[in-house]
Amino acid sequence: MTSTPLQDNASQPVVSLRRVTRAYGDGHGTVVALDDVTVDIRRGEFTAIMGPSGSGKSTLMNVAAGLDDATSGDVVLGGATLSQLDDNARTTLRRSQVGFVFQAFNLVPTLSVAENIRLPFELAGRRVDAAERQWIDHLVRTLGLADRVGHRPSELSGGQQQRVAIARALASRPAVIFADEPTGNLDSRSSREVLTLLRTAAREYGQTIAMVSHDPVAASYADRILVIADGRLVADHGALSPQQISDLLIGFEVGAA
Amino acid sequence: MTRRNLTLGSLRELGTVGLVAALCGTYAATLITTATIFTAVGSTDDGGSTAAVFLSIVSGVFILIALYVGAVVIVNAVDTVISGRLRHIALLRLLGASGRDLRTSVMRGTATVGSVGASSGILVGTGMTHLVRVILVRRGTLPEAAYPWFSPQLLGAFGAIVLAATAAGWLGSRVVLKVSPASALAGNAAHRPERRKASLVRATLATIVIVGGLLVLGLGGLLGETNPGAGFVVAFFGAAGSATGFLIGARFVIPGVVALCSRLLGSDPSSVVARRNAVMDPLRTTRATMGLVIGVTLVTTFASGTSALRASVAAWELDPTRRAEATQMLGVTSTVLICIIVISSIIAAVGFVSTMSLTVIQRHREIGLLRSLGFTRRQVRTMITKESVALSASAVTFGILLGLLYGTVGAQSLVGSQTQGIVWGLPFQAFAFIAVAGLALVLVASQRPAQRAVAVAPVEALRMDG
Ligand SMILES: Nc1ncnc2c1ncn2[C@@H]1O[C@H](COP(=O)(O)OP(=O)(O)OP(=O)(O)O)[C@@H](O)[C@H]1O
Ligand SMILES: [Mg+2]
Repeated sequence: MTSTPLQDNASQPVVSLRRVTRAYGDGHGTVVALDDVTVDIRRGEFTAIMGPSGSGKSTLMNVAAGLDDATSGDVVLGGATLSQLDDNARTTLRRSQVGFVFQAFNLVPTLSVAENIRLPFELAGRRVDAAERQWIDHLVRTLGLADRVGHRPSELSGGQQQRVAIARALASRPAVIFADEPTGNLDSRSSREVLTLLRTAAREYGQTIAMVSHDPVAASYADRILVIADGRLVADHGALSPQQISDLLIGFEVGAA
Repeated sequence: MTRRNLTLGSLRELGTVGLVAALCGTYAATLITTATIFTAVGSTDDGGSTAAVFLSIVSGVFILIALYVGAVVIVNAVDTVISGRLRHIALLRLLGASGRDLRTSVMRGTATVGSVGASSGILVGTGMTHLVRVILVRRGTLPEAAYPWFSPQLLGAFGAIVLAATAAGWLGSRVVLKVSPASALAGNAAHRPERRKASLVRATLATIVIVGGLLVLGLGGLLGETNPGAGFVVAFFGAAGSATGFLIGARFVIPGVVALCSRLLGSDPSSVVARRNAVMDPLRTTRATMGLVIGVTLVTTFASGTSALRASVAAWELDPTRRAEATQMLGVTSTVLICIIVISSIIAAVGFVSTMSLTVIQRHREIGLLRSLGFTRRQVRTMITKESVALSASAVTFGILLGLLYGTVGAQSLVGSQTQGIVWGLPFQAFAFIAVAGLALVLVASQRPAQRAVAVAPVEALRMDG
């Protein structure tokens, strides 16, 4: 295995970005999606990443998770500097340390719900032990998927698909979960349940979570709120109430316009 | 023009259609022109004219078989292209395009590409055959005669190919009708063809025809012990009948065979996904492999039949020169027939390669997702190769088994009375050839797609517009 094991040092961040820039295209049409961002995602924390549409939130997530390369700067994930790893090492690192919930298209279409949830274990080549099975059952029940485990993704609603992705991300207890608008397709009740589940995972199991969201209510579940505008990190707060978050965002949107 | 581009993207996606039409055209033109040459030779001496009649009947049958395989390949190519663009088509429907219009535009597309392919194929086939003829006349192998450059049957072949391409375009675009405009709005749903319902009527009909055909085939084999001439005719109808049954019921039989074979792949994630993809859509699985089954069955039938005949001849009490003559004649006949028949395998192989590469193009997003979840490049490559193996190995195995049955029973019905029991025709040379060709096919069909697949960046899964 080429992946460096995580050090159990609580003060060390799970992910750190050092002066990271990500530019798309070159010459005249260059878009700088991330502009010199330096930030740490701290262990056991539930971090919300906010900002206007097109501000670079998804890009931040992709770069931090090693899905995409930074144009310049360093990303350290689980003790390893991503730019120094080859594709294989990076894939193995991602497989063992990172869980994902994407904005859309989360599930492997040919696998059933249960198989999708177990995929991280299968990929790591290990069996699901009794404790993990219990954890998965708990997740499946909490997310209201109990009678859906045998179905194919195409037989689920958008919100159900998203919940399966959340179950998959939480199931293997990765070092960090990146979730891009995990409640984007959910009604307010399921959304509340999902957010509570994420917060519980962070509080009780020390699960590190970075969540992109547009919704001040969703972000209010987080321990920390980062705001991005035009590819730059413009605010970094502790937990805030929905109202405070709205005010904060309005400030930046007015500023950006 | 614009409409067609809207539905199909560029005409380049119909490259397979053009290639298949060209192959059919070349093949038909070669056979037809050869028959005209034999006729011309026949008018100078009398050995040629029976050969000419025989050749034109045989070539008619073989051209039809090739056309059938070609049409199956085209239907599949069109269906694959369109299935990959369902979202796009749904959006067009949402914006007001009627399903019928879209289908007509697809049909016009395949007709255009088909006629370009057919005419160039016919030109090439005719040209090449005449070239060979000129060389043979120079060398003195063929007599000087008035060889016509053009045969009216070529026009018929052109019409038949264009008709097949047009009809295949119409059939292949059936999926368009199932696209509801609303599905363009289902942003998060992974687009997959819904399970197509198996029709009870078709299944029953297929079962009856298969079982009946096989019984008649067996009867032919039995008759061969006492009455060889009648036995062969009965066996022929039995084989044709059961083969028709397999064609009707292919969508039930072939996915089952593929599912069975792909169990052998393994149970690691890349094998599981490969297996699921191979059998995900029974119709796609059927169409992608049916041509191969037909091709391999035909080749094996002839190879196995002649090898059984040869084995019987070897057991007879004949004087050595006559035996050598008989063996040689059988050898030549089987080689010629196999060369003529192998074209359907080639057309089927072209179709298979194109299905594999199109599905990889269409699965970009899924592959990106797998990569981001932790599939290494190697695992992605394995996945594509295994899918290709599952499909082609099943087709080849099934084709060989069928061919062995037909060939052996056919030989038995001809010479059963003169041999002890049943002589199995096991043409090991042909098996080796088929195995090598099958392996080459797997490599060709999976190499480029696998390369394209490993080049997919994990972020591709995240693009909203996939
Ligand atoms: N592949 C790409 N090529 C070129 N530009 C891109 C690409 N991906 C993203 N961008 C640009 O980078 C910027 C940031 O995009 P990003 O997807 O990170 O935004 P976002 O904050 O996630 O927006 P949203 O909230 O709408 O999802 C945008 O201006 C976008 O146009
Ligand atoms: Mg985004």
